[in-house]
Amino acid sequence: MKSRRDILKLAGAAAMAASVPGCRKTEKPLLESFSTATLDPLHSYPYRSWEDLYRKQWTWDKVVRSTHSANCTGSCSWRVYVREGVMVREEQAADYPKINATLPDYNPRGCQKGACFVEYVYGPQRLKSPLIRVGARGEGKWRKASWDEALTLIADKLLDNIYNYGPDTNAFFSVIPAMSPVSFCAGSRLAHYIGGVFCSFYDWYCDLPPGEPLTWGVQTEACETADWFNSRYIVLWGSNISQTRIPDAHFAYEARYNGAKLVCISPDFNSSAVHADLFLQINPGTDAALALAVAKHIIDSKLYDEPYIKEQTDLPLLVVKETGRFLRPEGVADVFYYRDAKSGQVKEAPGSMGSKTKSISLGGDDPDLHARFTHNGKEVVTVFELLKEKLAPYTIEAVAAQTGLAENDIRLFAQEFGTRRPAMIIHGAGTNHWFHNDLINRAFILLVALTGNVGRNGGGFNHYVGQERIWPERGFRAYAFPEGPKKQRFQNTTLWTYVHSSNKDPHLYNGKPIEHYIEESIKNGWMPLYPKNRKQKPRAMIIWRANYLNQAKGNEYILNSLWKDLDLIVDINFRMDTTALHSDVVLPAATYYEKIDLNTTDCHSYIHPFSKVLDPLYDSKTDWEIFKELSAKISQRATERDLKPYRDEQFGWERDFTRTYFQWSGQGKFKSDEDAANFILANSPETKGMQYGMLQQGPRRFVATDEEAWTSDIKPGQAYTPFQHQVERKKPWRTLTGRQQFYIDHPWFLELGEQLPIYRQPLAESAKYPFFWNTPHGRWSIHSTWRDSRYQLRLQRGIPIVYMHPDDAKERGIRDNDWVKVFNDHGHLVTKVQILPGEKRRRLTMYHGWERYLGFLQGGWQAPTYVKIKPTQLVGGYGHVNFRLNYWGPTGNNRDIRVDIAKYTPTAAEMKVILRSRDRKGAEKA
Amino acid sequence: MFQHQYAMVLDLNKCLGCQTCTMACKKLWTDGDGMDYMYWNNVETRPGQGYPRKWDQIGGGFENGKLRPSEIPSREDYGQPFQYNYEERMFQGGLQVMPHEPVENTPNWDEDVGALMLGENYYFYLPRLCNHCTNPACLAACPRNAIYKREEDGIVLIDQERCEGYRYCMRACPYKKIYFNELLGKAQKCIFCYPRLEKGEVNACARQCPGRLRFVGLLDDPGSAVHKLVHVYKVALGLFPEKGTEPNVFYVPPFNPPRRGNYGKSILDDPRMPLDYLVYLFGEQVTDVIRRLEAELKKAQDGAPSEVLQLLIGRDEEVRYQIPKRESLVQITNAQIQPLRRA
Repeated sequence: MKSRRDILKLAGAAAMAASVPGCRKTEKPLLESFSTATLDPLHSYPYRSWEDLYRKQWTWDKVVRSTHSANCTGSCSWRVYVREGVMVREEQAADYPKINATLPDYNPRGCQKGACFVEYVYGPQRLKSPLIRVGARGEGKWRKASWDEALTLIADKLLDNIYNYGPDTNAFFSVIPAMSPVSFCAGSRLAHYIGGVFCSFYDWYCDLPPGEPLTWGVQTEACETADWFNSRYIVLWGSNISQTRIPDAHFAYEARYNGAKLVCISPDFNSSAVHADLFLQINPGTDAALALAVAKHIIDSKLYDEPYIKEQTDLPLLVVKETGRFLRPEGVADVFYYRDAKSGQVKEAPGSMGSKTKSISLGGDDPDLHARFTHNGKEVVTVFELLKEKLAPYTIEAVAAQTGLAENDIRLFAQEFGTRRPAMIIHGAGTNHWFHNDLINRAFILLVALTGNVGRNGGGFNHYVGQERIWPERGFRAYAFPEGPKKQRFQNTTLWTYVHSSNKDPHLYNGKPIEHYIEESIKNGWMPLYPKNRKQKPRAMIIWRANYLNQAKGNEYILNSLWKDLDLIVDINFRMDTTALHSDVVLPAATYYEKIDLNTTDCHSYIHPFSKVLDPLYDSKTDWEIFKELSAKISQRATERDLKPYRDEQFGWERDFTRTYFQWSGQGKFKSDEDAANFILANSPETKGMQYGMLQQGPRRFVATDEEAWTSDIKPGQAYTPFQHQVERKKPWRTLTGRQQFYIDHPWFLELGEQLPIYRQPLAESAKYPFFWNTPHGRWSIHSTWRDSRYQLRLQRGIPIVYMHPDDAKERGIRDNDWVKVFNDHGHLVTKVQILPGEKRRRLTMYHGWERYLGFLQGGWQAPTYVKIKPTQLVGGYGHVNFRLNYWGPTGNNRDIRVDIAKYTPTAAEMKVILRSRDRKGAEKA
Repeated sequence: MFQHQYAMVLDLNKCLGCQTCTMACKKLWTDGDGMDYMYWNNVETRPGQGYPRKWDQIGGGFENGKLRPSEIPSREDYGQPFQYNYEERMFQGGLQVMPHEPVENTPNWDEDVGALMLGENYYFYLPRLCNHCTNPACLAACPRNAIYKREEDGIVLIDQERCEGYRYCMRACPYKKIYFNELLGKAQKCIFCYPRLEKGEVNACARQCPGRLRFVGLLDDPGSAVHKLVHVYKVALGLFPEKGTEPNVFYVPPFNPPRRGNYGKSILDDPRMPLDYLVYLFGEQVTDVIRRLEAELKKAQDGAPSEVLQLLIGRDEEVRYQIPKRESLVQITNAQIQPLRRA
């Protein structure tokens, strides 16, 4: 098979044969019949026929529109160019229709990574045939296997586990349906029909902003990025859009030219800060303190939107002072009260979960924000007044000291936030990956709610980390889990990983270890834990569209516990990533350019598909095809082994595995991946009337929104922003109180003093390690994808880099490009350092996603981390706060970790690793 | 005499430093043999060493009308195009994947570094390509007369048939944007994507730029964005004007936010980024441009639209690129200048 490189060689060689006889100047070309002395090439040049050389280079035989699914939230439309049967390059299609004439358009969406994906199609990391491990896990020794052999091995093992240990010992892990739902569902359907455990990703990767389910009763709602342009005040808070939202960042910088002010809040002077009007170089983890100082200023200066907060938030609701619980009627739950200032009477707040009124319209009432009185012998007070008490310590002076910011800057920031509308917070992992992320989120949301910015174009709290939201959700759900979510084992992966590995959180919470809260939560039925039989352990794990091991917090613990306990690890992948390398069976998947699928993002309001530029190369198959064949193999083996149906007690489901394929294929309805795509499209209001084939021509905007899934309509000529149903149509918020709820009176929140947003310091696990370990998303990879791409690495430093401030480096005698060891009690890593003046002192940064197998002399970027769970994220049984896959469950936070760093001298053995391939320069040219 | 001149304006206040332009160019033009180390388009963090290392300090261009040739940068100055042992590690049980040699320099070695002034960091991204100068030093230096300026559009090309690899051009170019292909024995450089422009398609680096900071058109077309930005609004400047080559790639100079505690003050008043550094790169005029841009920004933020900033928003490709039809360029040699027809 011809490679990309061959094609370019051919082009080059042909060109040179014509121009340089004998190539180098050993044989000079005959002098043309002119005197160079008379030539005036500044004005005229006669010998231009050679120009065809480059004209020919920009030619192709075929161009196909497709996209990528690397969990980047890009959802970018690309054209892939094919010459002589080989994909040679790609270019953004730039074919998104305009929303209206005023808003800048979405073109060209894409980044430098999408611009070189073909490297993976033909590169040395590509998986070309099924492999079965022959060495130790992770050693990289394999034997080639046939599909039949590999699938038989897997099918038998899954069946054995079900009959011997229970179906909940088989775990399935795949991320982000939005980026390729057909590929996702192919596996989730199989998990569904064989009773497997389906593991979450969005909370586990800590991209879920837990403050949103707590305050708004939603997973994550954000405006599409074109709406940034409608803003007058944009705060980049924990979000480095120049690096992590490459296709969208222009909207913010263009909004600035349109009259918005741009504020960047970050500990480092990052690539987005360079373009800000105001840069706040905040101390790591102190963001909530700053937000609460701003909230205090807004309240003290009466800059809040009074009618808005009376109607849209729980701030006027009454709380019983003694118990800290909302004032509720006897015996009837979920009804709440405010005092109407006009009549002076205590009235039921409309629109709560227990209210008969399905609207939050006040109907002429004027709820008193400041009420404080005795009601039926109980002292009651409004949430607003309680909030004011809580905010008292957050003076600008005190917070300036905590955050390391200048008082002048905080004061102007607070004043502008309160006065420039619409104002929005663009929120990212920088603030969301902390242990106290729920509190940080809630403090930020408070700001945009106080100022009436939520539910308005150009305003709001817009969180973008992970492509979590699938627009055609109804069709997706029906295809992914056909018998419904109640018949599926869903598992929060943070909890699963913590319990099934040797991770141990040393902290006490209110004097108790986290295990106390975990057991309580499981006992109360708040969080599920599989296997249900606590004597069992997970036995098999099937991973596709994900790199579980490399990305897992507590890497070292997992490798030494969970990874040893699993009897079978299967990885379905187009490249050998770290998880694949540490697997037992590797199945070669088609790349993004060899499959049919759909693609959506929360960053824009269009859908567009993957197309097969070429059929799957080598012996690879699409994810859909692989799960189809695995389902068929399970049925075949169940028949051959004469397996009687398995009685699954949890659901009362007689599982007849001889029929698994029949079920998986929808009784034969889903004959191809295109059928699956069309099913999802046809069963979702967003994509009514659309078919896969027509989408191949280019992105189409959604035509409507599913009222149950979304909070605004999609309107022609207007950028999508959430919560217009609540703000404009007065539909209740999906919370216990039917309002944006800042007061959570769940007993655990009261116990831990977090009923209202407050600031808590990062976990100080050990004073002996002075540096925060910061692993943000960066420009050079999408998680681990492209981390091993040679095209990308040549524009970095070739191996993983730890960044540190020059003064910290000086103190430790470390110089740029030295080998260093980063360590704490959990693990360590050895790689090179770069001195970065924009880095915050006492913090080390390594962009996340580096593969363990590349560049590190020891360890990996997750080696110093461990899994730790926040008790308040284990709760359930509270109105809108209940476990739901990827919506509510403990997040796998990682920013509170501390480490130390020292210069490192490689051992003789390591020097061999560093120098050994010197003699083989170019040996592996792709 | 060349009749028209293509130009590019890059708004540095929109640059993300994402290198999509670099990758677009690499994949289209410099992915062949002998080209691994070359990036006709690169993005470097400024202040910084640049690519090739210290290109701005070693010379080139004209002094008093005379060529001032420099040394040719070494291979080390350009950075190492290293390879990896993937297969060994992944499929043969071998050791860690590593570059085939210790890496000491790459084209983007000091990414995001910049410099410190009074304890605060400042930097910006500078995307660079061949400047397709009006008075190209490379052309003047070529003893073979193999470098020429296209009369219809001012694009400067190295004739890949007639180039003999003497490399005088590399010494002469003050921007060090000419590369030597050792396998072919030829000097090579950015061709301003003439095959694309000829078909009405803008340069790959511009069309693929997600920051949308590039504007392309004919400098002499009064309707073009580049003309307006350079000659009407006068907010775009060439690099190192004193080197005498009259570059046709222009930059809207960069801002950085105010220093800590300075919010509310002018960025010229105790700036985070020393103005001297911008004067070094863009000449004396830069102070005036920064002052005017800041005033426009303030105007916009106070609620009155700014004409020049509205243009720099560049809402779609039609605003950013004005690519004339090829015939209207080629035919001008035998007639007076015709009004341009757009592709």
